[in-house]
Amino acid sequence: MPGENPLTRENFDYLAGAAGLDLNDPHLDELFSYVQVALAGIEGLAEIDVAGAEPDLAFNPAQQFQAFQE
Amino acid sequence: MDALELCYLSAGELSRLIRDKEVSPVEVIDAHLARIEATEPTLNSFITLLPEPARAVARRAEAQIQAGNYRGPLHGIPVGLKDLFNTAGVRTTSGSRVFDNFIPKEDCTVAARFQQAGAILLGKLNMHQFAYGPTGENFDYGHMHNPWNPDLVTGGSSGGSGSAAAAGQCTITMGSDTGGSVRIPAALCGIVGLKPTYGLVSRAGLTPLSWCLDHPGPMVRTVEDAALTLNAIAGYDPKDVASAGREIPDYTAALTGSVQGLRIGLPREYFDAPLDAEVAAAVAAAVSQLEGLGATVTEVSLPMFRDSQAISGAILMAEAAAYHRELLARDGDKLTPSVRLRLEAGLFVTAADYLKAQQARSKFNQEMARLFQEVDLLAGPTEPVTAPPILASEVTIGDRTVGVTGALTQYTRPYNISGTPAISLPCGFSESGMPIGLQLAGKPFDEATVLRAAYAYEQATDWHRRRPPI
Repeated sequence: MPGENPLTRENFDYLAGAAGLDLNDPHLDELFSYVQVALAGIEGLAEIDVAGAEPDLAFNPAQQFQAFQE
Repeated sequence: MDALELCYLSAGELSRLIRDKEVSPVEVIDAHLARIEATEPTLNSFITLLPEPARAVARRAEAQIQAGNYRGPLHGIPVGLKDLFNTAGVRTTSGSRVFDNFIPKEDCTVAARFQQAGAILLGKLNMHQFAYGPTGENFDYGHMHNPWNPDLVTGGSSGGSGSAAAAGQCTITMGSDTGGSVRIPAALCGIVGLKPTYGLVSRAGLTPLSWCLDHPGPMVRTVEDAALTLNAIAGYDPKDVASAGREIPDYTAALTGSVQGLRIGLPREYFDAPLDAEVAAAVAAAVSQLEGLGATVTEVSLPMFRDSQAISGAILMAEAAAYHRELLARDGDKLTPSVRLRLEAGLFVTAADYLKAQQARSKFNQEMARLFQEVDLLAGPTEPVTAPPILASEVTIGDRTVGVTGALTQYTRPYNISGTPAISLPCGFSESGMPIGLQLAGKPFDEATVLRAAYAYEQATDWHRRRPPI
C-alpha cells in the first residue's frame, strides 16, 4: 500500500487472515515488522508518473495455442 | 596434462583437445571430480554430486568420439546446474530441505539441450533458498564460500555456480537471474556471467521465483565459453510461453576482438549511488580501455534508475508470494526464516501496486529504449562493492552504510526490468584480492554486441587468467 496510510496492525491482521495465515501464530509479530519495512521499499512506486502506460504483461495467445498443440 | 590445468582450461580450449583426441572426456571428468574432492570441504558448491553417472557418460562420450561421432564444442565438457533446474532422475531441491526428495521425471529444456550437445552433468549446485537472496547463504545445505576468501560470500542466488566455475570444479555452470543472481556471483567470484534477453533461453523446468523477471544464463570463466554455451541452449521452446521464436546466430562469430565504432554509454545515475572507490576506479579504467580499443564513450542519463528497486521489488515480491503460496501454507515453518519472511511479505503487495509496478516497468523500458537510440551498450559496475562477509546484513560503502541485499542488486535489477542482455566480467581486483566486475548491457536480442565488447576487453586484459588461492 505504498503512498497510502501506513499499515496498521489491524489492517495487517485482516490481510494476513485473508491470505490464509494463522492469526494465532506468534511468527506474525515478526512478519508485521518485516512487512512494514518491505512495503516501505516499494513506496517509491507512488511517485512514478505512469500516465498512458499499460502494464507490461506478457500474453501471447498464438504461442500458448502452439504450445498446447505440440 | 596436469589434472589441475585441465580444470582451468576453458570449454573452448578443452573442446579443441577433446575433438583432436588429445584428451579424453574420462580424464576431464576424473580431473574435475578430484578437484571437487579437494575443494568442496571449503567451498560447499554442490548440493548433489553425480560422480558415477558423470563417469559413465564420460565413457560413452569417449567411445562416441573415438568412433568419429564428435557432437561439437560441448561434447565431454563438465557442467553443473543450479539446483532449481529440473533434472530427470536427479533430485532438485531449489535449495530447500522441503524438496530434499523431489526427483523430477523430466529434464528442464536447458538440461536437455546440454545433454543433446554432449555435455556431462557433474552435479547440482548450491543456491540461496528458492533463489530469493543475493548472497549465497543457505541454512539447509550450508553456506557457499567465495574461492578468493572463504570467509566472504559468493554472491547469489547462484552462489554454488559462481564458486564452482571460479575454482575449476566445473567448466560451465548455469544460474538463473531474477534481480542479478547470475551476474552478482559472477562479479564477486571473478568469472563471466551472462543474463541473456528474456525469452532467449527457456525457463521451462526451472523453479520460478518471478515469472516475468527470471532469466537462465551461463556462468563461465571466459567470454568465448558464454558464447559457446549460448549457442547450445538458446532458441525457441514451446514449453515456455515467453520463449522467443528467433533465429539463433553463431554467437562465437561476434568474438572479433574489435569494438571499433561501438557507442558505449555510462549512466551518470550509477555513479551517484553508493559505490566503493576501488570498484569505481577499476570500472573507470576498464571503460577507458574500451575507449582506447576504439569505442566511443559518452555519459548518458537513466533517471528511472532510482525507481528500479521499487519496480522490481513490487513485481518480485508479488510473483514470488503467488508461486510459493501453497508451500507457505503447508511448510512455512520449515523454510529458512528470512526467506519465509520475504515470501510472506509479498502477500501484502496489492494487485494495484503490482500493476502500477508493471506500468512503471513500461515507462522504464521506454526510457531504456530511448537510451539505446544513442548508444549500443551501457557500461558500469556490476556490484558497488567486493564480496561482503558471510551473514553480514549491512555493508559500508564510503561514508554510507546500506543493506546488503539492496546494495548487491542496485546495478543488476534494471536489466531484469528491461529484459535486455547484460554480462558481468572481471575488470580488476581490490587491494584485499577480491574480484571486481564490469557490467555491459545491450539491446534486446543483441547478445552478439554484448559478447563482442566483453571479448575485446577480456582479450586486452588478463584478469580472467587469475586463479583463486584454493
